[in-house]
Amino acid sequence: MANDDSRATERRARFEALAPELVEPLRRFLARRTDAATAEDVLSETLLVCWRRLDDVPADAALPWAYGVARHCLANAQRSARRQGRLAAKVATVDPPAETSPGPGGPDGHDGDDRLHAALVRLTDTEAELIRLWAWEQLTPSEIAGVMDLTPNAVSIRLHRAREKLKEIMRKDATASGHEESTEGRTP
Amino acid sequence: MNDDELQQRLRAIDPASDLTPADPARVARLLEDTMNTDLTDTSTESTGPGTGPGAPGRTARRRGPLTWVVAAAAVLIAGVGVFSLLGNDPESDDVPSATGSSSASEGATTTSPTVTELGAPAAANAKCMVPNAELLSTAQVAFSGTVASVAADRVTIVPDRFYAGEPTDSVEVEAPPELMTALVGAVSFEEGQRYLVSANDGQVTVCGFSGPFSPDLEALYVEAFPG
Repeated sequence: MANDDSRATERRARFEALAPELVEPLRRFLARRTDAATAEDVLSETLLVCWRRLDDVPADAALPWAYGVARHCLANAQRSARRQGRLAAKVATVDPPAETSPGPGGPDGHDGDDRLHAALVRLTDTEAELIRLWAWEQLTPSEIAGVMDLTPNAVSIRLHRAREKLKEIMRKDATASGHEESTEGRTP
Repeated sequence: MNDDELQQRLRAIDPASDLTPADPARVARLLEDTMNTDLTDTSTESTGPGTGPGAPGRTARRRGPLTWVVAAAAVLIAGVGVFSLLGNDPESDDVPSATGSSSASEGATTTSPTVTELGAPAAANAKCMVPNAELLSTAQVAFSGTVASVAADRVTIVPDRFYAGEPTDSVEVEAPPELMTALVGAVSFEEGQRYLVSANDGQVTVCGFSGPFSPDLEALYVEAFPG
């Protein structure tokens, strides 16, 4: 029994060393993808999975691994939410979180780049996720591969395509609306 | 626009840029709560078909997410008094020792057969890789066994060998009927047939990782779980 105790203590120590590093990145990860209440639920769920599967957490890539868990937990939460007919539209998009404090970007978290927002919504889920992981979580392709269960090579290719698609959508949008302030092809 | 410019523009609309850091006291409490959640699940009856992480949890969006997760993410749950019809071997009276793996619990009475409860994967998640031992070896539960019954929302398997996970007397795969239909189709569960089954996060793996017993699949299991 003493042996079990020391194993449990050692396990707690490992988790206590690991988890605080994960909390803030995970909170941001979730704030980018869902509403505040769901984010909070999924955060505890994600931490719980990390705790239970502590032995599986890769030492050199704990955060991408945890993002992968969070992504999974979030998908589950959204599935059950959808199933219950709630929150359907809210959780599926990159809506800003409902309860963040207003920052310099504007009171509603929308910071004026409507065209980019509109373009993001037109990507497929996978494309949008690749873009988010690249631009917001700032992961490398091989880290993204860990999160999304793809090969680094596939990530590189698909990320490249997603970026091009995003640019293309915005370009077309700009042309269609005859928008003047396109930065395309302009040198200041 | 080049990639850097695109990234800049995206970062400018990062919804998390305004996120204030969490109160350290709350984080500490959250971590403490997490670690106090027993690895050995004490919820003996885990909400019917809502057992798999992909399954609907009644309390999913209520205040106590941990409670739900305890039910949902559990890989192994020792059931009390669940279905003693199954090969009830007297040895099963042994309470599995608390080894820190997710397994039987204080809540289980010593006389009940132990049950591993698994869920079906959500159909939307089906992404197939070529089955290989390396991937298979990450499964938390792997066993061979014979299907005792197939019902709309539950398949009961009597395991004869555990490659991974805490051995139990029977294994229940529970899922809502629509997921179960997909799973039964994917693995082709039939009563009386022998299968090799593995599970991750409490969900039966498909895509060739679980299937009817065959020498090839058995070889894969043996390779993945030596010894």
